[in-house]
Amino acid sequence: MPLVRGVIYAAIGFAIGGSISLGITNMTGEDYKEPMIVLGYVFAIIGWLMGVGMWKIWGREWFGKSTVNDPTGGWERYLKFNTDHKVIGIQYLATLAVVFLLAGLLAMGLRAELADSGQNVFTKNTYNTTMSLHGIMMIAVAVAAVMGGFSNYVLPLIIGAEDVAFPRINALSFWVVPPVVVLLLLTPLFGGFDFGWTAYPPLATQAPIGGLLFELAFLTFGISSILGGLNFIATIITQRAPGMTWGRMPIFAWSVLAASIISLTATQWVAYGMLMIIFERVFNMVFFSPPGGNALLYEHIFWFYSHPAVYIMILPAFGAELEIISHFARKPIFAYRWVVRAFAAIVALSFVVWAHHLFTSGMGEELAVPFMVLTELISIPTGIIFLSALGTVWRSKLRLKVPLLFALAVVFNFAIGGLTGIFLADVATDIALQDTYFVVAHFHYTIMGGEMFAIFAAGYYWFPKITGRMYNETLGRIHFALMFILYNITFLVMFIPGTVGMNRRVAEYPPEFEAMNLIVSIAAFGLGLSFLPWIYNMLNSWIRGPKAPDNPWGAKTLEWQTSSPPPLENFKVMPTVTGDPYGYGDESVVHARFGKSSPSSQAAPAEGD
Amino acid sequence: MTIHVPNVNHRFDPLTINRLGLWLFLVSDASFFIALLSSRVFVSGTSTPDEINQVLGLSLTVLLLLSSLTAYRAEVAAENNDMSHMKNMLLATMGMGILFVFGVGYEWYEALQHFPPSTGFGTVLFTLTGVHVTHVATGILTLGFVYFRVRKIETIGDNLFAVEGAVKWWHFVDVAWVFIYPTLYLLK
Amino acid sequence: MTAALIWVLLTVVAEFALLSLNLFGDAATKQGQFIDDAFILLMALAIPVFTFVVTMIGYVVIKFRADGDELEDAAPVRTHKKWVGSWLIWTTLLTIVVIIYPGYVGVQELRETHEEEADLTVNVTGRRWQWSYEYEGRAVSLFAKDDMLILPNDSLIRFYVTSEDQDVIHSFWIPAFRMKIDAVPGLTTKFDVNTTKIGNFNDDVNFRVQCAELCGRDHSLMFTRVKVVEPAEFEQWIADQAA
Repeated sequence: MPLVRGVIYAAIGFAIGGSISLGITNMTGEDYKEPMIVLGYVFAIIGWLMGVGMWKIWGREWFGKSTVNDPTGGWERYLKFNTDHKVIGIQYLATLAVVFLLAGLLAMGLRAELADSGQNVFTKNTYNTTMSLHGIMMIAVAVAAVMGGFSNYVLPLIIGAEDVAFPRINALSFWVVPPVVVLLLLTPLFGGFDFGWTAYPPLATQAPIGGLLFELAFLTFGISSILGGLNFIATIITQRAPGMTWGRMPIFAWSVLAASIISLTATQWVAYGMLMIIFERVFNMVFFSPPGGNALLYEHIFWFYSHPAVYIMILPAFGAELEIISHFARKPIFAYRWVVRAFAAIVALSFVVWAHHLFTSGMGEELAVPFMVLTELISIPTGIIFLSALGTVWRSKLRLKVPLLFALAVVFNFAIGGLTGIFLADVATDIALQDTYFVVAHFHYTIMGGEMFAIFAAGYYWFPKITGRMYNETLGRIHFALMFILYNITFLVMFIPGTVGMNRRVAEYPPEFEAMNLIVSIAAFGLGLSFLPWIYNMLNSWIRGPKAPDNPWGAKTLEWQTSSPPPLENFKVMPTVTGDPYGYGDESVVHARFGKSSPSSQAAPAEGD
Repeated sequence: MTIHVPNVNHRFDPLTINRLGLWLFLVSDASFFIALLSSRVFVSGTSTPDEINQVLGLSLTVLLLLSSLTAYRAEVAAENNDMSHMKNMLLATMGMGILFVFGVGYEWYEALQHFPPSTGFGTVLFTLTGVHVTHVATGILTLGFVYFRVRKIETIGDNLFAVEGAVKWWHFVDVAWVFIYPTLYLLK
Repeated sequence: MTAALIWVLLTVVAEFALLSLNLFGDAATKQGQFIDDAFILLMALAIPVFTFVVTMIGYVVIKFRADGDELEDAAPVRTHKKWVGSWLIWTTLLTIVVIIYPGYVGVQELRETHEEEADLTVNVTGRRWQWSYEYEGRAVSLFAKDDMLILPNDSLIRFYVTSEDQDVIHSFWIPAFRMKIDAVPGLTTKFDVNTTKIGNFNDDVNFRVQCAELCGRDHSLMFTRVKVVEPAEFEQWIADQAA
C-alpha cells in the first residue's frame, strides 16, 4: 500500500529531521519546538513523496537505477504516485471536493455564531481559527480545483496531447497537496491560528505553533502551484496536436496558459512571505517588528502574490465558462481574439495592482493614485470577457443544460463581483469599505459566484468524459436552482452590514446589525444544504448512472472526440487539427481529423522530465 | 473544398522540452530572488555597516565567477564528447562550490559578532546568503549526481541534458550571487 | 428592440430606487459625505451595466432557447467590429470617468486639509485589545477601556495613529466618519476629518472607534465609544478633565 508506506516514511523522515534539529538546538540552547517541526517536516515531506511511489518511478533514476512506472490498474491507481494526467486530475478533484465540503461546514459554523450579535457557538479563539481555516481551505480549493483538477484532466485532451510535458513533476505537484490538508487540519491541536488566511505579521509571528503549521502548509501549497504552472506552460508550448496553431487553440487552453504564467512567477513571492515569517519565528529575525523591521514589507510581498492569485483562480474559470457557453449556444465564441488579448492584458495588469489592498495600510501616500488607476484599468479587459459571453449567446440556439445554467450564472454573479470591485479600487470609497463585510461579500461574489459556479459548470460539463456516465439532469437543475438563489440571497444581503458599519472577522458585533446577519445566516445554511443533491448526484451517477456516449453534447473540441473515459494514451488515433474548435453553423471549419492525414500522428510520444 | 493543414509539427524532442522546463523554472526562481532583493531595502534601507568584510565578499564573488567558467568548460567538453576533461571540470566546479560554502560559513561566523539575525542588517544578510547558499548546495548536489552518473561512461549520449541542466543551474546560482553581492556589500 | 426597452426600464427603476433609498444614514464628517456621494455615484454608474447584463441573460434565455433533441447550430457570427469597438469605447470611457471622479478627485479631497493647522490633534495608540488617546496640547489622555472619546463638532481633527512596538497591526476606524487607517508598530499614520454632526454612541452605533484589522482574540471587542459635541462643550470637558 503506497499510502501506508508514505505515512511510515514520513514518520521516519520526521524522526530524522527532528533529531538533527534537536541536536542543533541542544547546542545553541534555543527553544527546540519550532525548529524541530520545521526540519522534521522537510524530511517528512521527502519521506512521504518517496513512500507514495516517487522513489520507484523517479528517485531510483538519480542513482542510475532502473525505474518502473505503471499508471494503469483499478481504483488503487488513484492511491499512489501516478503519472497519468487523468488520474492526477481526479486525485485533485476528489481531494478538493472533500476540502470544499469541510470548509463549507466551517462556514456554516461561522454563520451560526454570527446569527446573533453575542458570543455563543465558539470561544473567541476558536472562532478566529475556524474563520482562518475556512479562508485558507477555500483558497486552496479555488486555486487548485480548476488548475490542478480540471486543467490536469482536460488540458492535455483539449489540445490533443498524450499527457503533460512533465508527467512525473505533475504527480509531484499533486502529492504535496495531502500534507497541506493534513497540516491545516492539525492546526487546532496546536493552538490554532488566529490571523486569517492573510497571516499579517506581527500577529502571525506571535501566533501559537498552529500558525507555524499554517505557514508550512501555505509554503508547500505554493510549491505545488509553481510546478503545476510550469508544467501547463511547457505542455501548451510543446504538446499541442499537429496543426493546432495558436489561433486554433481552445479558449480554455489559453486561459490555463494565462493563469500558469501568474502561477509560475507570482507564487514565489508568497513562498518568500511565508519563509520570512518562519525565519522570524525560528531564527528570531526582525523583518516585521521595529526597530529595523517593517510590517508593510509582508503586506506588499503577500499581495504581490495574492492579488494575481485571484486571476489564477478566475482566468481558467472564464475559460471554462466561455467554452461551455459556446458549445451549448452552438455558436462560435464571440470575439475570440479579443478574449485572448484580454487574458494577456489581465496577466500583465495583475502584477501591478497589488497595493489596492493597502490603501488604508499606511503605505506611502504617493502610491494610492497609480495603484487605483492601474486597478480600474483591469475592468476594460474584464469587460471583454462579458462582451464575449453575451455576444456568444446572442441569437444562438441555447440548450439550457445544467452546465450552461451554471455558466450563465457566472456571468450574472461576476457582474456583481466585478462592479463592486470598483468601489474597492476607488481610494475614497475603499477607505470606508476596507475590512468590512462589503469586502467579504465582494470576494465571495468573484471567487464563489464567479469561480466556484464555473467549477460546478465544468464539473457537470466534463462529468460524462471523466466518469463515462451521465449525471441526473433533474437533480442537477435542483442543485442549480437552490444554489443560485440561496447563494445570491446570502451574499447580496451581506453587502448591507458592510455599508452600514460592520467590520469583518469578528465573532461579536453591535446588536443593531442582527436582523441582516440573521437573514444571511439562514440563507447560508440553506446554501450549505443545497450541496446535498450535488453530492448525491455525483456519487450515485458515478456508480450507477447510465453509460455516457463519447460526445453527449455534440461539442467540437478534442476531448469529446475520444472515448469516455479516454484510454491511457488519450487518443487511439492521434488527431490532426485542421481548424478552430468553434465551427458551429459553418461546415467549412473542421477542428480535427483522425487517421493517416499526417505522418507525425505515428510519431513516438514525447517524454521528458 | 481543401483544408489547409499548416506545416507545424508541435511534437518536440525530449531535450528541447527539458530545456524549456528548466528555463521556466529559472524564470520562476528568479522571481523569488527579486522578492529577496526587494526586502533588503525594506528592512535595512540602503545602508551597509562598516564591519562587513569587503575582502571576503569580493573573494567569494571571484570564486563563484571562476566556478562558472569551469562549469562552462564542462558543458563544452560534454558537447564535444571529451569525457575526461568534462569530469575534471565538473570536479573543479564542485570544489570551488564547496569552498564557497565554507566561505559563507566564515562570513556567518563574523556576521554573528557584528550583526546577528536579530538586527535589521543581520536579518537581510542571513536570509539572502542563506537562501543563496542553499541554492549553491543544490547545485553541488546536482553536479555530484551528474558526476556519479557519467563517471564510468565513454560517450555522453543521453546524459547531455544532465550535464547541460546542472551547468545551467550553476550559472543561474552564480548570476543570482552577482545581484546579491552588490545588494549586500556595495549599497551606500 | 424589446431587450433595449427592458434594459432602459430596469435601469430607470433601479436608479430611482437608489436615489430614493437612504443607504447608510448621514456621515458625520465632510470627508465622509464625499465618500457617501462617491458611493452613490458609483452605484448609479454600475446600475446600467448590471441591468444590461441581466437583461441580456434573461432575454437570451427566453428568446433563443432551443431545447429540442436535435443539435441545431446558430448562424456563426465570430465577431462584429462595431459592437466590439463601441463596447471597448464605452468601457474605457466609464473607466476614465471613474478614475477621474470620484477616483483622483477623491484622493485630493481627502488630503485637502493636510497642509492646514488642525483645531485638534489626537495621538492614537493601539495595543491588544484597546485604544488609548492623547489630546495634543490639552494635557488630557484617555487610557481606560470604558472611556468615551469626546470630539468637538465643526472642527478639523487630525488623528496620528500608531501601535505599540511589540504589538500587532490594528486599524483605527470610526464608521460614522467613514475614515480608517492602520495602526502599524513602528510607523505613524494619520488622517484628517472635518466633523459636521453631533452624535453619540448611545444613539448611533457607528459613533465608535472600531479596530478593523484582525488582531487576535478580542479583536471584535476592541472599540471605544465616541461622542461628538459642540466645541464649547468640548472645551468645558477638557477643562474638567485637566482639573
